Amino acid sequence: MTRYLKTAFTLFAISAVCTALCAFVNQITAPLIAANNESDRLLALEAVSAGYTIGEETEGNGESVSYLIPLTDESGELKGYILGLTANGYGGPMDVIASYNPDGSIIAAKMSTNSETPGIGKKAEESWYMEMFTGLGGDSPIPLSKSELSDTDSAAVSGASITFSGVTSALKAGSDYVKSLGGEA
Amino acid sequence: MSHMKELTKGLFKENPTFIIMLGMCPTLSVSTQVSNALGMGVAVIFVLTCSNIFISLLRKVIPDSIRIPSYIVIIASFVTVVEMVMHAFVPSIYEALGVYLPLIVVNCIILGRAEAFAGKNGVLDSALDGIGMGIGFTMSLSFIALIREIFGAGKITLFPIGSFSGTITIPGLSESPVRVVALAAGALLLMGYLKAFFQWKSERGKKA
Repeated sequence: MTRYLKTAFTLFAISAVCTALCAFVNQITAPLIAANNESDRLLALEAVSAGYTIGEETEGNGESVSYLIPLTDESGELKGYILGLTANGYGGPMDVIASYNPDGSIIAAKMSTNSETPGIGKKAEESWYMEMFTGLGGDSPIPLSKSELSDTDSAAVSGASITFSGVTSALKAGSDYVKSLGGEA
Repeated sequence: MSHMKELTKGLFKENPTFIIMLGMCPTLSVSTQVSNALGMGVAVIFVLTCSNIFISLLRKVIPDSIRIPSYIVIIASFVTVVEMVMHAFVPSIYEALGVYLPLIVVNCIILGRAEAFAGKNGVLDSALDGIGMGIGFTMSLSFIALIREIFGAGKITLFPIGSFSGTITIPGLSESPVRVVALAAGALLLMGYLKAFFQWKSERGKKA
């Protein structure tokens, strides 16, 4: 009996010390991590806002649009929206932040958190990738497959078709959502 | 002298990647960029050294029947510490390493060294073994990453320092890279060639 108790106590003591160590490090790092996440989010919003004033965040449609932020100009007139979109990539869910004109055309987009393969799917994080879609979504449709792209763009996204179709379907869903709002905040 | 041997054996003679063939999963998956390989290497060196020291210190306290759970708890704690520190101070590497960072817990190199070495040897030797094995792993990982990145992407990604952007682009290769090398299949192929090369080298060394 004492042998079991001794064994259990040893394991308990080791676990307790380890937990205390983790808790101590967490105390130091938690505020820094929260600050990093917040500044990343603000930077991403700033990058797609096209200089307009960023409004209050509201909830999206609960499906592919996770949140909605209206963009206004100096006079307070609605100029567009920033949408937080969830896309399905090769490495799991990807967060895409995109801004739209009220007619549903894309102003700018940015890849946020993702687990795509570095050097392949991660290319979607680079600015030229999302620039392919600027202005699309209104009168001209967003390409949903690589065959709808120009040869140069198609070659650039080759090897990462799943990332590409994930990004484009999310952008299209965002565009449709913006159109459904009909220009209201 | 024998202490020195504990440190250096992990570098070439008992290199964890090419000779003992441990930790293949992170080796193949994280070796897409040199910066990721270095980040992963530093994390492994830290966890391996700390866990080796702790396990060696506690080797007489931990009953044999619960040694594996104890090792896992100790290793997991250090991995959690590394994860939190990286998330706070080097978020870009934290993001790049993704799921492979928490998976260091089950990295065979670390549990393997705990079981095969730290559980049986003194603190100093265990610490040196951890550092040596960790550096050996980092070297192999960075070497594979260097080849994969040069041929697969035509560039070398390091860390931005001052005016240096952190990326060296190789003219010619960056426009038309050998893309298969950057993919998982390329990693396996390259690993096979490198293993064959090191095998040939060590065989030749024995004959001479």
